[in-house]
Amino acid sequence: MTLSSTTPDAGTAPPGPTMAWATTSLRYMRSEITHAWRNTRLLIFTLLMPILLFSAFSASSEGDHIGSLDVAPYIMISMASFGAMNAVLGTAGRISVERSIGWNRQLRLTALSGPQYVIGKAAIGFTIAILPIIAVFVAARATRGVSLSAGTYLGAGASILLGLIPLGGFAIWLGYLVRPESMQAITGGVFSLLALAGGIWVPVENFPHWLADIVKLLPMYWSAQAGRAVLEGGWIGMRGLVTLAIWAVVLGAIGGRAYLRDQLRA
Amino acid sequence: MTRHSSPPGELPTAAGLAPGAAPAPTPSVHLVGLRKRYGDVQAVDGVDLAIAPGEIVALLGPNGAGKSTTIDMLLGLTRPDEGEVQLFGRTPRQACVAGLVGAMLQNGGLRPEITVRQMLTSVAALYPRALAPDEVLARAGVSELADARTNRLSGGQRQRVRFALALLPDPDLIVLDEPTAAMDVESRRAFWTAMRAWAAAGRTVLFATHYLEEADDFADRIVLLRRGRVIADGPTTEVKALVGGRTIRATLRGLDAGALAALGRLPGVAHVEGRGESISLSCPDSDAALRALLAAFPGVEDIEVVGAGLEDAFVALTADSTDDTGTAPIPAGRTATSQTETTR
Repeated sequence: MTLSSTTPDAGTAPPGPTMAWATTSLRYMRSEITHAWRNTRLLIFTLLMPILLFSAFSASSEGDHIGSLDVAPYIMISMASFGAMNAVLGTAGRISVERSIGWNRQLRLTALSGPQYVIGKAAIGFTIAILPIIAVFVAARATRGVSLSAGTYLGAGASILLGLIPLGGFAIWLGYLVRPESMQAITGGVFSLLALAGGIWVPVENFPHWLADIVKLLPMYWSAQAGRAVLEGGWIGMRGLVTLAIWAVVLGAIGGRAYLRDQLRA
Repeated sequence: MTRHSSPPGELPTAAGLAPGAAPAPTPSVHLVGLRKRYGDVQAVDGVDLAIAPGEIVALLGPNGAGKSTTIDMLLGLTRPDEGEVQLFGRTPRQACVAGLVGAMLQNGGLRPEITVRQMLTSVAALYPRALAPDEVLARAGVSELADARTNRLSGGQRQRVRFALALLPDPDLIVLDEPTAAMDVESRRAFWTAMRAWAAAGRTVLFATHYLEEADDFADRIVLLRRGRVIADGPTTEVKALVGGRTIRATLRGLDAGALAALGRLPGVAHVEGRGESISLSCPDSDAALRALLAAFPGVEDIEVVGAGLEDAFVALTADSTDDTGTAPIPAGRTATSQTETTR
């Protein structure tokens, strides 16, 4: 009886390892999204809050401009970003809860691998984030007459999501760092700061110069700006893209490291 | 029956894996020289173990003996510092991906906010092939819990749902870490009944417990773990005989470390403890031990021979002593490799 005598077959599913990998990931995401859909508290917070806030902030200022945009489209992008941020940051809570009860360990005994789990968790956050973006776009069209081409809607929505990739890495890191008991308080605080820094409550155009300069070094400003740039008929620009890319790499690495450390210890 | 003073790298001869037997089947579980250290604590210190298909094995030891760490490494949840794990000749990860392994982890929770059936359905989708949720619930004897929310279950119900979860891939090996910890007597009985029915089909079961009674009732083979080492491994009846011996207590003037070591080497003695001038010998064979004791130490006084309960003897044999010099190792002369040897 020797240990090296058996060469195990790596792929068990007939369609080949890559297909099997994708299938398992998709099945995992599908069931998780189904459960999220059934979670009314989650839906109310991610869908209704941005719509309500949009209605409130876009009400009193008809005809005014913020930068080169009308108020309603500007606030529409802010609130769509707000809802999407919230959904992406929710990944932290989901990872933290499952980690605290050992559910991630249980899942590691299935065909779902560790990387599939963590990538799946982030992807679920981004998928849920699509909902508030659509909801705010629809609300803006219905209540404030913000009417854009299908291409602009798609481009703006996709830009917001892409701009949130750094936040995805951050959410994974938080998920492995923070216990569920303190998650509410911490994400609440972090979220308010991020939203402020992203110019979601107060347009960055109204910030003092020194503060605006700082905010423009952070990723949050650029994720909303990516959406607004599409509405202005342009794109986010090199500075924004590079800032987002650097933050995505840094926060992605931090999130990945937190995940790996947990894998080895747990 | 195999007893180790833990020679690293040497494989134990386990029931079903006797040397000379025609081409041995690939063992369900094969651990070689496993070691894991957490800070200053050597949680697992050179565990070797081979389990053949169809065996039901209890990993028995007190809290802190290294049972959970061993199981975590076996399942690929913790990376060993040293050593190798194979399940069915594969890595733990490959065995899990193939759906060969089911496990109930210690303190494992259930995914909250959904019903038991929804949870089982979503996990079933992550296996190459899985049994139907209703079928595993029936096998675990908890069909009535299908529509209950996972966060509203009692401790015992939760454990049995986790058992259903472990059965989901229709595994060839099931690993249970303290499975009955949160169960009352009735759930415990129902759990083992369900477990027996499942194992009857020739599947491999490894379970960790600190109840000798549970190991005795259910296992064919007991692996006794103490301070991260396998200190005994053999058929249940034999390990029970070992831990179910008598204790000799006496007073020995001028007791020192040398005398303690000599006491540990006496025939019939498994374990020695000394406090001041009092000695306590755990003896599988107290008659032989007493004769040898009187011959070697004629000055010994206040001799008392007590028939320890199984649990007492087990605790005496496996308990951590704060003062290591007060504990003599199991004599190497008692190491045997034949599975047919009986302790008497």
